[in-house]
Amino acid sequence: MHRFVRPQLMLRDSKQPLLPRAGHLCTNHKSVVSSVRGYVVLPPTSDEEEKAMLHRMMRVDHAGEYGANRIYAGQMAVLGRTQISPLIQEMWDQEKQHLRKFNEILAENRVRPTLLLPLWNIAGFALGAGSALLGKEGAMACTVAVEESISEHYNSQIRTLMEKDPEKYTELLQLIKEFRDDEMEHHDTGLEHDAESVPGYQLMKAIIQVGCKAAIYISERL
Amino acid sequence: LCCGYWDMAALIRGLRAGRVLRGLGSVAVQTLSPQGSNVRRAFHRTILLQLVNDSKSDTSVPPPSYHEVHTAGESSSSSAHGESSEDAQPNTSFQDQSGEHGEDYETEEQLQARILTTALEFVPQHGWTVEAIAAGAETLGLSSASTGMFNNGAGDLVLHFVTQCNAQLAETLAEQNNQVQLGQAESKKTAEFMRDAVEMRLRMLIPYIDTWPQAMSILLLPHNIPGSLKHLSTMVDDIWYYAGDRSTDVNWYTRRAALTGIYNTTELVMVQDSSPDFEETWAFLDNRIKDVVNMANTAKEVQATGESVVQGLMGAAITLKNITGMNQRR
Repeated sequence: MHRFVRPQLMLRDSKQPLLPRAGHLCTNHKSVVSSVRGYVVLPPTSDEEEKAMLHRMMRVDHAGEYGANRIYAGQMAVLGRTQISPLIQEMWDQEKQHLRKFNEILAENRVRPTLLLPLWNIAGFALGAGSALLGKEGAMACTVAVEESISEHYNSQIRTLMEKDPEKYTELLQLIKEFRDDEMEHHDTGLEHDAESVPGYQLMKAIIQVGCKAAIYISERL
Repeated sequence: LCCGYWDMAALIRGLRAGRVLRGLGSVAVQTLSPQGSNVRRAFHRTILLQLVNDSKSDTSVPPPSYHEVHTAGESSSSSAHGESSEDAQPNTSFQDQSGEHGEDYETEEQLQARILTTALEFVPQHGWTVEAIAAGAETLGLSSASTGMFNNGAGDLVLHFVTQCNAQLAETLAEQNNQVQLGQAESKKTAEFMRDAVEMRLRMLIPYIDTWPQAMSILLLPHNIPGSLKHLSTMVDDIWYYAGDRSTDVNWYTRRAALTGIYNTTELVMVQDSSPDFEETWAFLDNRIKDVVNMANTAKEVQATGESVVQGLMGAAITLKNITGMNQRR
């Protein structure tokens, strides 16, 4: 999936944030996030260190969403014709939206994507398909484990940004918070659909979460 | 004898005015508001400039209180206060200013940049060496010992030149992009854009092409490699960005790797090309770009074929499962 477009002039028409202020509930955030164009998520900065930090964050988030996408693709490949398939499809569609948003951010800000994307492609699909072979409960357990890792990761990013300068990173914080809420929703959905009843749930969850942590660590650096 | 007399008079005038201004200067700092002292500083500067130019004295004894005014007033305005390496060379920093609106102090980086830019004129003569930097420094009125500022010697000169070229390239590409956005110019196809961008960048080497092999070998020295790689990758990223690449997958890497290969090989061809206006180099460049485009097209075709093959196999597998009755809804 590569996009090849002529560079667009990115204009910021008004100072009004088009998304609701942080802390307010937004019931239709999904449509707003995907339809808003032309506002800058990463604050422009001339400080090299800050720019490196922001780029690193976006790089690993992009890798995470890409991996999540592939996990759901793997699950659908195995369970695509079962009763659980509409649910998995819905969660997958939300992840696709997240990935689209991160693709935009990377392109606008000229952030380098992680070198390990092909690896996450294969590993994600294998994890999704492998867990789905354990049945619907296995797929849900995998979802729970991965979404928990991702939510934790987003939370730590939110903490970092809040510590630095909440005012400056308002839009970025808003975005990460929305995505984190989506991931928590997936996590809860997984729990609701008998994730814990898979044999070896605790072991499976632990292994997957260690894998996710390692993936995040590597993607931040490479 | 007459001329000598007039010179002497000018010198005495200058010294007397300098003494007066010194007195003025030390009073001005304590009593006036910042705006007032800015005006007075500019006034001092213009007067002193004229005096210096009149008496043509390039001795190294500056009116000391001028610098007191300078540095004391400086703390209220710019942050270049810390860069006071020009204390030993005060004449250059205000001799070159237009007087009314120049920077009060130029930073050390700016001074280094100026020296290196001037040194480039001496590269055909001295090569990419410290001697060229020294010659550049002397042209600006500094002593040749100021090459001590450059820890990396010739490496600094080459890296400065590369930075300058890349900045120029980025500026031109941005300008062209602007034109296309405003509808004043046609957008080019990718291959053509690549070709023009690489040619533009390589043409900047033409004035120094005879000594460029020396520069390339300097860039390959181990302690210079991180710097030269960074410049190369930034340049390649810039070219692809303005060509319209917005990929966020592995294509990001393959495209930049391809362009790096094209650029490096074309550069090598260029340094030993003796055809008029480097025609052979541009022909070589054309061919390399065609190769890459071909490869990209072939890759796409292979992928499309591969996908069709996979679909065919899946179809065959499903048919088989249907026949044997294994394909039941769960």
